[in-house]
Amino acid sequence: MDSAIAIHYCDRFHLYSNSVASRMYCSYLGNLARKKDLILLNPLEMHSLRSAIITSLGLSLLLRTGSYTTAIAASLLAIASKFIFKIRNKHFFNPANFGIISVLIFTSDAWVSPGQWGEDWWYVLLFAGTGGTVLKKVGRCDTTVCFLSFYAVLEAIRNFTLGWTWDIFWHRLTSGSLLLFALFMLTDPRSIPDARVGRLIWAGCIAGLTFILRNQFYLSTSVFWALFILSPLTMFLDYLWHSTRFSWERSLDRSQDNSSHEILDRKAIIFEKI
Amino acid sequence: MKIGRLVFIFLLNFLAIICFTPAAWAFCGFYVAKADTKLYNKASQVVIARDGDRTVLTMANDYQGNVKDFALVVPVPVVLKKEQVHIGEPQIIERLDAFSAPRLVEYFDEDPCATNRYRMEDRMPMSAAPAAQESANKISDRSLGITVESRFSVGEYDIVILSAKESNGLETWLIRNGYKIPKGAKQLLQPYIKQKLKFFVAKVNLEKFDSAGYQQLRPIMMAYESPRFMLPIRLGMVNSTNEQDLIVYILSPKGQAEITNYRTVKVPSDTEIPVFVKNEFADFYKAMFQTSYTKENKKVAFLEYAWDMSNCDPCSAEPLSPEELKQAGVFWLDRQPSMQPNFGLPSSNNVFITRLHVRYSRDKFPEDLMFQATSNRESFQGRYIMRHPFTGEMKCEAGRQYKRSLPQRLEREAQTLAKLTGWNIQEIRKKAKVVSNQPTSWWENLWKN
Repeated sequence: MDSAIAIHYCDRFHLYSNSVASRMYCSYLGNLARKKDLILLNPLEMHSLRSAIITSLGLSLLLRTGSYTTAIAASLLAIASKFIFKIRNKHFFNPANFGIISVLIFTSDAWVSPGQWGEDWWYVLLFAGTGGTVLKKVGRCDTTVCFLSFYAVLEAIRNFTLGWTWDIFWHRLTSGSLLLFALFMLTDPRSIPDARVGRLIWAGCIAGLTFILRNQFYLSTSVFWALFILSPLTMFLDYLWHSTRFSWERSLDRSQDNSSHEILDRKAIIFEKI
Repeated sequence: MKIGRLVFIFLLNFLAIICFTPAAWAFCGFYVAKADTKLYNKASQVVIARDGDRTVLTMANDYQGNVKDFALVVPVPVVLKKEQVHIGEPQIIERLDAFSAPRLVEYFDEDPCATNRYRMEDRMPMSAAPAAQESANKISDRSLGITVESRFSVGEYDIVILSAKESNGLETWLIRNGYKIPKGAKQLLQPYIKQKLKFFVAKVNLEKFDSAGYQQLRPIMMAYESPRFMLPIRLGMVNSTNEQDLIVYILSPKGQAEITNYRTVKVPSDTEIPVFVKNEFADFYKAMFQTSYTKENKKVAFLEYAWDMSNCDPCSAEPLSPEELKQAGVFWLDRQPSMQPNFGLPSSNNVFITRLHVRYSRDKFPEDLMFQATSNRESFQGRYIMRHPFTGEMKCEAGRQYKRSLPQRLEREAQTLAKLTGWNIQEIRKKAKVVSNQPTSWWENLWKN
């Protein structure tokens, strides 16, 4: 099974590399447009690759296609959405989600396999997610916690009402794809509401819509559609509840607090060079 | 400088794409034996032809008891009328089974001292089993909360479509009408009732069955339109903890189908195994399937075949004709008449078959199977290769090299077989006549009798 997963990753490496390249290219164009003469690969710009890596992981782990053009289209559209769909300098579509939904709509050779990750990885994912939350390394995890809790409550009510045994409830919740979505797609801190209240409402709405699409419309890819449909809600929620916007730069600085002096020194040297 | 970096990034991407492009594997070889559903004692077979929300479901299980005891209760998403139910031909399921069964192919090594040339041997196999189970009824009892939505006879079956308000009423109705309901069925029926599913209840009309002189129950087909692409398996697991085999053939104009709430895994394929397996291919496949099933923790569905139905390579059976496809439930062929001349080649009939083998049990498959058709048109088949060594006289240097390399190859094949099936490696070596030129480990024969 390990080798199968290794092959799976190798097979999707192009998605990852293309997304990162797309991000660098877009960043380069953006810099040109702003007439900032920043060097493309300078260490200050490298932090923005974290965002591209999250997008690439999201695409590689969740989208499936047999064609390289579709894979490239997905990654380009994902990154392009960050620059096109933005209000007050904030993009509101999750890039990976936008890429996935775009190719699902506009191409005929892309699909998502909700069963592909089985249920065996749930504890690893949950461990990673919980650990990430505690260490505050994985974006804004309150969204994930709210989404999973609300979705679990809805599924539990359905399970109880229908009279299914609880192993069905458990089977549904331990789906690897659901957890991957909750941990790696919902946590993108840049496209979600800035204020905690907004994020909690937003995550709850996505959980509710996912539940409805899955159980009333029998849509196997319900989570992706729910996020896509409700993404613009971010702007409205930000309007209602203001808060500090997440910044990868600040996050990077915080996470490297111990070596902050060193970083500042490096920054100073780089600016001197520029 | 910046442009140079940009070019570098694109070159890097291009290289990544080229390097990670999977190798194109050609499917070739000659079919000699297949592992069809006759291998399993209890294998239900279901054919689902689906395009959009339109579905034709064909059910056949290997019911082997007295036909008067046969009864079938299946949750269905909509009320079915008589015109929506049809009796299928068992031969069609046998044809699908034969067409998609995992296969053994064999090659003959050419004379290393001569020009390229190969021979083939072809041995045709056996056929599959059909069937079904249960009994049916009449009487509608409002007080039980049961509504008989429709009642009709098709072929040798008497069919009733019921809707129920609660499981007690449904259970009472079924018992009152002569159905033997296993204990515990009530709890399982309840969720289906609450999801507003209807119940398709069929039993055999003995007079018709006897007068028609049928030897076995024929498959039941039903056509309906529903966004639900699922197969209820929970009812079949009442009071049973045993593992049950289910073969699902999904016919779609789109591409491969897969299960959305369980992992779908390909059966091990394209491996070279010793030639003696030719005589025990059925045992090999059963053992290999069981090993893979156990390795995957018994909770995955196996993909055994995925192919465009207009061709096959190698063919374990001739592709189904458009007429046969229609009999299997394919309903979209008339809509898409082929506009292109086919120049004598089999025309693409736009039917993609997926054969899924699910061995399910109550503890590992708690939820009914949900499917989706994807646009994945990648071909796959369970295929096992035998290579007969060249036994003629070899006098050249290439021949001597070939002879020297042969024991290693046979040993490799033996080890592959042991790994796939869990069979004893010593037994395999004996059967495969592997003369190892490598010293065996000292402990291998230590406790051998």
